[in-house]
Amino acid sequence: MLSAGHANSWRVSGGRIMTAIRCLWIAAFIILLCGLTPNRAAASGPTRQGAPAANPSSSDVDQGKQSFEARCSTCHGLDGGGAMGPNIQAIPMRLGAAVVAGVIKNGMSGGMPSFAGQLDDSQIQQVIAYLLTLTHKDSGTVTGDPAKGKEVYDGSGCATCHIISGQGSGAGPELTKVGQLRGPGYLKTTLLYPGSDLPQTRVFLESGGMLEYMFVHIITKDGHTFDGTRASEDSFRIVIQDVSGQFHSFQKSDLREFNKEPGKSVMPSFKGKLTDTQIDDLVAYLASLKGDQ
Amino acid sequence: MKIFPYALMLSGLLAWGPAASVAQSVSYDRILHSQSEPQSWLTYGGSYSSQQYSSLKQINRENISSLKVAWIYQPSKAVSNLEASPIVADGVMYITEPPSTVTALDLRTGLKLWSWSPVLPEHVVSIGLYATSRGVAILGDTVFIGTADSHLVALDAKNGAVRWDVHVADNAMGYAMTGPPLAIKDEVIIGSAGSEAAVRGFLDAYDAKTGKRLWRFWTTPRPGEPGAETWGVGASESAGATTWNNGSYDPELNLVYWGTGNPAPDFNDDERPGDNLYTCSVIALDADTGQLKWYFQFSPHEDHDWDSDEPAVLFNATIDGKPRKLLGFANRNGFYYVLDRATGKFIAGQPFVKETWAKGLDATGRPIPEPNQEPTLGAGTLVYPSITGGVDWTSPSYSPQTGLFYVSVHETGAYFIKGQGKIEPGPPKGIVGGGGIRALAGEQSYGAIRALEATTGKLRWQFKLMAPAWVPVLTTAGGLVFSGSDEGNFFALDASTGKPLWQFYMGHAARSNPISYEVDGKQYIFETAGNAYIAFTLP
Repeated sequence: MLSAGHANSWRVSGGRIMTAIRCLWIAAFIILLCGLTPNRAAASGPTRQGAPAANPSSSDVDQGKQSFEARCSTCHGLDGGGAMGPNIQAIPMRLGAAVVAGVIKNGMSGGMPSFAGQLDDSQIQQVIAYLLTLTHKDSGTVTGDPAKGKEVYDGSGCATCHIISGQGSGAGPELTKVGQLRGPGYLKTTLLYPGSDLPQTRVFLESGGMLEYMFVHIITKDGHTFDGTRASEDSFRIVIQDVSGQFHSFQKSDLREFNKEPGKSVMPSFKGKLTDTQIDDLVAYLASLKGDQ
Repeated sequence: MKIFPYALMLSGLLAWGPAASVAQSVSYDRILHSQSEPQSWLTYGGSYSSQQYSSLKQINRENISSLKVAWIYQPSKAVSNLEASPIVADGVMYITEPPSTVTALDLRTGLKLWSWSPVLPEHVVSIGLYATSRGVAILGDTVFIGTADSHLVALDAKNGAVRWDVHVADNAMGYAMTGPPLAIKDEVIIGSAGSEAAVRGFLDAYDAKTGKRLWRFWTTPRPGEPGAETWGVGASESAGATTWNNGSYDPELNLVYWGTGNPAPDFNDDERPGDNLYTCSVIALDADTGQLKWYFQFSPHEDHDWDSDEPAVLFNATIDGKPRKLLGFANRNGFYYVLDRATGKFIAGQPFVKETWAKGLDATGRPIPEPNQEPTLGAGTLVYPSITGGVDWTSPSYSPQTGLFYVSVHETGAYFIKGQGKIEPGPPKGIVGGGGIRALAGEQSYGAIRALEATTGKLRWQFKLMAPAWVPVLTTAGGLVFSGSDEGNFFALDASTGKPLWQFYMGHAARSNPISYEVDGKQYIFETAGNAYIAFTLP
C-alpha cells in the first residue's frame, strides 16, 4: 500500500513536503519551548550559577553516577546504553540539560516515571552531568584557521547535506552548534572516517531501544535499487532517506533484497580528498560553530 | 406526521437495545464457565486458566484482512503504559487508566459511563517499576483494583462508588500494586511489587463483600520457618519474591497458581547464599487457606533479575496416553516448562530462546548451571537472555484448537555487572539492585512470536519482529494469533503457520492483553497503544 507509484517508492508531493516542513517547524518550536523556557527561567534565578550539569565538579559527576545507578540503571543500563528501557547516552547532549531535567522530573510516555520527590533539582543536574560524560566529545585542540576552513566547507559540497544557521540542505545532521557538541579531535576523526562513531537514532522506540543510524541497501521485487539511511522502521515497513533528502517507504514483503550495513555512513570520507591543512582548517571552522548568531 | 418519529424510535430500539441486561451480575459460576460465554471477557487472561484464548471465530483467516477500527477511547488526561486487560461483561468494558483510575465504557460505543480515581499521595513510591495498572477483577456487581500506593479497593460496578478500601501494604517501604486482582468464589486475591525496594513478597486474599483479609502467604520465609535454610545460615532478612502480576486458578484442585519475583538485591548475591525460596517460582496455594501445596522454583539462587511473574497457563493434554492437568510457563530465564499442576512435578522443558547460563534441565526440572555466568565486577559477564528475559510479564496464549503455546520472545543478551548491594533498613532510597547490566550495542537483539508445542516446548514456527516486543498474545478459534510489535504494529498471524495475515499501525507499542468479545452479534478484537484503547471489528 505504501509502495505505490514508480519503482515502488513513495515520492513526497510538494504539498506533503510543506506539511512535513510545517510539522518539523512545529516540532522544533516545541523543542525550543521545552528547551529554552526553563533556561530562561533559570538564567534569571540563583540556581543557574553552579548548576552541576552546566559546570560540574568531579564530585557532582560521581554523585550523579551513584544516583543514576541507584535510580535509573534498571531501565537504562549501568552505562545508559539501555536495559529494560532505551539507550539514553546521547540524549542530554542532543536535547540539552533543561529538557532532560524536565523528563526526569515529570516522566514521559512510554514508562519513564516521574522522579519528583525522589531526586531534587541539584541531584537531577548531577545525573545529567554524569550522562554528559558518557558522550564522546574529545576536546582535542584546534590547529587550523577557521576562516580558511569556511572556504573549504563551501568548496567541498558540505552544504548539500548539512545546514549551518539556516544555510544548506538538510539530509545530514545540522552543524549550527556542532562546535559546542563535539571537540576538534572528534570532528577530525569523523571527516576522515565518517562511520567511526555514527550517531544513535532518530526514532525512539518505546522500550525496544533506539533505532541506530543505519545505512540501508534495498532492491525491490521489480528490480529498483535504493540506498540511504534509515529514517524509520517497524516490523513490516521501512522508510529510508536517500542522499538527496528524499524519503522512500516500502513494505518489507515487497523487497527482493534488504540489507542493513551497520558502521557505514552516507557521508564520504575526506581522507586523501583534502590536504591535512585543509582538514585542520575545516575542523577549526566546525569547532568555531557554537550556535551564536 | 407523528408516526414517522415513532417508527424511527422503534427501529432505533431494535438496533440499539441494551447489549445485555444491566441487572445481571458476574457470579463466580459465570466466571467458572467463562468458556460458555465468549461474548464476555471476565478475567485478566480470559478465564481462570489464563489461556488468552477466545472461542469466537467470526473474525477468521478468510476475513481478517478487512478488520477495521470501530472506536477509540482516550482518557481526558494523557496516560501512558496501558497494560490493563479490559474486563468485558454485560455490555460494559472496565478498563484502568494509569496509575490507578478505573473507567467503565459502554461496550457498543466506547463512550465513558463512569470513572473513579483514588487520592494518591503526592509522591507515590515506585521503585524498579512505573506506576501502572494491569486491570481490574470483577465478581458479582463489584470491580476490584489494586492501586499504585498498595490499596485494594472495591467499587460498585454500576457507578464506581467505593464499597470498601483496604490498605494492603506500606507504599513508603516500596510496596506498589501493578497487577490485577483475581476474584474466585467469594474472595479477591492480590499481590504486590517491590522486589527492587527489597520488600518481602506476599499474596493476600480478601473477603469480596467486606474487604476483611482471609489469608496471607509470605513468599519468603523468616528464620525458623520452612525454607529459611535456603537463604544461608544467619541470613536474617529474606527479601523479594514479589507477586506483581495475575495468577490462575484450578477449581477442581482448588489451587491458586501465582508467579513470584526475584530475590533482593538482584545482582549481588553475597548475603543470600542458597536457593532463596520462594523467589522466581510458581507457587500453588490452597484457595481457602493460602497454605502452600507445592512450589516449583525455575531459577534457584537467581541473580539476573529473571522474575517469574508471567501468568501460569493451565491446560489439559494427553501425555503418553494419559490425560494430564498441566501448567505451561515460558519463563524469563529462557526455558519453557510443562508441570503437572496437581503436584508441581516437572514433566518437560527446553529453552525457547538463546540461553547461555544453563546446560539444560535435570530430571526434576532444576537447571544445570554453566560455570561463570554470574554477574561480575567491572566489565561484567555476557549472558543470554538479557535482564528482559526470554519473555517478561506479558501473557502468552494457549490455543486448545492447535495445542500450541504462543509467546512473544526477546532474543537478546546483556553484560551483567555485580555492584554494591546491601539491604538497608527503613524506607528505600533507590533501587536495591546490587549491580546492573549493560546492553549489547547495535541491532543484535530481535523479537519473535514463537509457537511451541505446549506439551514439549518444541518450536513449531516463528514470526520475527524487528525489536524484542513487550506485547501479550491472544489466540482465537478463528485460527488467528494476535500480538504487537514495540514499533507500534498490531497484527494477526495464522495460528497454524505463523503467516502474517493483517497488520495495523497503531503508532505506539501495545502493552495490554489483546482480548476478544462480542456485541450485537459482532466479534471485536481489542488492544491498547500509547494513550488509546482501540476496538476493532469487521465492516
